[in-house]
Amino acid sequence: MNLSFLALLLAAAQNVQQPKTQGDAPRKNWVISAERIYTAAGRSLEHGTVAVQGSKIGMVSSGSEDSGPESLACYAVTPGLVDASARISSGAASVEQSREETPELRVTDTLSPFDNAWDGQVASGVTSVLANAPDENVIGGLGAVLKTAGPPSIAARTVKADAVLRGAIGSQPSRRNHAAFGRPTDFYSRRPTTRMGVEWEWRRSFYEAAASRKEPARSFKGCAQVLAALEGKLTLNIQAWTTQDIRTAVFLKEELEQEPQLGGKPRLVIDAAAEAWKEPQLLVRSHAAVVLPPFPEDGRTEESAFMAWNSAAMLVELGVPIALSAHGNSSPAGNLGMQAGYAMQGGLDFDQALAAVTINPARMLGAEDRIGSIEVGKDADLVLWNGEPFQATSRVIGVIVDGALVLDPRTKD
Amino acid sequence: MKTPMFRNLARIPALALFVSLAPLLHASGGKIVIKAGRIVTQSGPDIQNGVIVIENGRISSIGPDTKAPWDADVLDHPELTAFPGYVEAHSPRGMDRPNETIEVAPFLDVRDSIDPISFYFEDSLRAGVTTINIQQGNACVVGGQGMVVKPFGITIEQMAVRTQSGVKIVAGPRPGASRATQAQALRRAFGDLRRYLEKLVQDTKDGKDTARREALFQGRDMEKEENKKGRAMEGNAAWKIKDLELVPRGEIDEKQEPLLRVAEGKLPVFLYCDSAAAVALALEVARENGFLAGTTLVLEGDSWKAAAQIAAANVPVILSPNLVYSERDPVTGKEVQTFVPGVFDKQNVRFALQSLNSSAQSLWFQAATCVAWGLERKKALDAVTRVPADVLRLGKRVGSLEAGKDGNVLLLSGDPLAVKTKVEYVVLEGNLVYDRSKDVRVKHLLEGVEQNNAAPAGVQTPTDDGDDDHKSGGEETPRKKDAGEKKDEKKDKDHGGQDKKD
Repeated sequence: MNLSFLALLLAAAQNVQQPKTQGDAPRKNWVISAERIYTAAGRSLEHGTVAVQGSKIGMVSSGSEDSGPESLACYAVTPGLVDASARISSGAASVEQSREETPELRVTDTLSPFDNAWDGQVASGVTSVLANAPDENVIGGLGAVLKTAGPPSIAARTVKADAVLRGAIGSQPSRRNHAAFGRPTDFYSRRPTTRMGVEWEWRRSFYEAAASRKEPARSFKGCAQVLAALEGKLTLNIQAWTTQDIRTAVFLKEELEQEPQLGGKPRLVIDAAAEAWKEPQLLVRSHAAVVLPPFPEDGRTEESAFMAWNSAAMLVELGVPIALSAHGNSSPAGNLGMQAGYAMQGGLDFDQALAAVTINPARMLGAEDRIGSIEVGKDADLVLWNGEPFQATSRVIGVIVDGALVLDPRTKD
Repeated sequence: MKTPMFRNLARIPALALFVSLAPLLHASGGKIVIKAGRIVTQSGPDIQNGVIVIENGRISSIGPDTKAPWDADVLDHPELTAFPGYVEAHSPRGMDRPNETIEVAPFLDVRDSIDPISFYFEDSLRAGVTTINIQQGNACVVGGQGMVVKPFGITIEQMAVRTQSGVKIVAGPRPGASRATQAQALRRAFGDLRRYLEKLVQDTKDGKDTARREALFQGRDMEKEENKKGRAMEGNAAWKIKDLELVPRGEIDEKQEPLLRVAEGKLPVFLYCDSAAAVALALEVARENGFLAGTTLVLEGDSWKAAAQIAAANVPVILSPNLVYSERDPVTGKEVQTFVPGVFDKQNVRFALQSLNSSAQSLWFQAATCVAWGLERKKALDAVTRVPADVLRLGKRVGSLEAGKDGNVLLLSGDPLAVKTKVEYVVLEGNLVYDRSKDVRVKHLLEGVEQNNAAPAGVQTPTDDGDDDHKSGGEETPRKKDAGEKKDEKKDKDHGGQDKKD
């Protein structure tokens, strides 16, 4: 390891990791000078420097360093963006179809580090994502927080395995299912076929899991994961687009808390809560966190939910923790940075928009000790911008993941 | 169907047409004074605290200390930025259906297909697009004639800026056709025109009057001067029809006549290329048939790879809404991204941009994306104002704020390319046609005004009168501050005291 002037500072940061193999990405102790450093940790620096040491952030300071072979310059630096609903999966191949609840299955077992989708994430400045199985099951399984670049193995890119228990409320898990009679029996001849069926599956799982504490015979596959979610040891991450589904999720949480035989303390993150703006007080009351879906051009999202452009601003004003998401879109118009821009168009201020794509999702995923802000000792995940972040007139020109330069700002196209 | 009035008007050059219609359309308005904190003129340096005077629908003067007529309405907004309306160079939207199934149909006109009350036009106005060239879609060989409109008015006559703005010709394969069939069909369209004209000349020499009788049957006025006279073929086509002057122009079948005008270089062409492979065919057919000078290429896919050939042909281009082209190297597996406007900028080809959609990612967004990818700001703004204006041959009317040009002015809340900027007012030919504070739909989009039955019952307390509550939310409250107050009020009403304790 290169013992530079940073060594002393580094000694304070105890958890320095040995550099990982990063394919052919150049690994150096990068020193990045920028006009603006937005740390997402309560301060912003003008004319500052961020120094990388190994795979961690070694120093954040004012003033610029002399240029050397390991120095990079750009207009602005932000933490690597975190997408708490990146929707990266192997599609149907990521869904176990034999049961409606598969709480014990891990999406990571179905992912490929060679998937092209990762490149797009990196290019748009997203360095960490929550990966989940598509919501074809009521309880889809365990999601994981992953880096978008690094060694070619999902295990090595994992920030937090089993980060959330993921499931869905709404029509998606029941889509295509149909009753067994009146037509040839096929794969989808199963329950649930309605929203109430989906809701019933959720409640049954929790009640059965709670009962299994006294009656082990009532245990089932994935019972341990459901219990962990009930007891708040595992974050419950539920997709709910519309008002009616958001209510169902919130009322489920309150039932888990208030029903004596359950005695739960669930931590709930509602994903894709497009209509959260309609009844924000429900979210305030229940202390649920919200991940918003991408801003739709005409207001309409999936499940015909209507999402107002001031959703993010309004929820923040009421104190609801929010994160923004691009749902895996890395195009200039749809990427996560632009989602922050659209949230600003809807009234969110810059600092809150920055938090909503960095430290907020990191906290929701329980990974804020490693990702989500520029602080000494945290993972060196940095995004280099050629202008003010989240403006349509700027873009990501450089990305560092775990200290490795995976998108080089010096490359001229 | 064309009305008789329009049938005749269409024969008059487009400018004359507009002049004759304009006083009818805006007899009541057209005089307004706009005062703005900053005027981005797009024709010179910005003006701080400037005044724009519009009379009879045209800008009569503009400057920092221009005197306002005493009797004009005044839009006085020192906090806003004035900007010329955006110009959409090419759009197949706003029609009930963008495509006709007939392969060669230059005799059709999008005028008969445009739906003036389409949301597309409302959205465009909201996004500050004030001039739109509507063209048929690309699923054809030779399409119908396009039309330049402004997104305001409930009849197509009110919307008209320029009729017969150009014909769509497609060099890439239409759905269901191979590249070879498309090329063949495209060449055949002009071959058919030649054969038809040659036969017509021969028939005239032989004294046959079939064409004349057909023209009369179609209702053409054969006594009109331009119909009576014959005229030798003009233009630069590689082929000529000998003795065409013997045929009175009115006798030329109206199904063939527009294509002859194309070949004579009198009707602009929007020539669509789906990929670089189509560019060579497009340019060859354009050269061969004499319409290269009137051609604007409409490019999709990897057409930018033929940028050098396009530059050599000296034609302007309208670029795909997807400004960044991604391609995966089959050998290395590495994804390569190409910023398309940058390629054409390097080749000094004039390019116009198209909207990604009619609302959130309209032309401002496309220009901003260009800046993000390193294009000079001025060039990016030109590509959504001046260049499309020139491409549509409206360079003297729209695209910048100068005395003599159409009175199309946007008042923006900030810099045109900043993400938070909103279009506050749109003035079209001197008439205030859009005021964001009165735009109910944008209020829904931005602030989520609750609809009457949107919220399911249950959160409200039983004593709460839901109906009243929702009505108050749906009122036209012009300013955000008011909406915020409403929100708080609703919060208190909805949840009473007991929820607050939680």
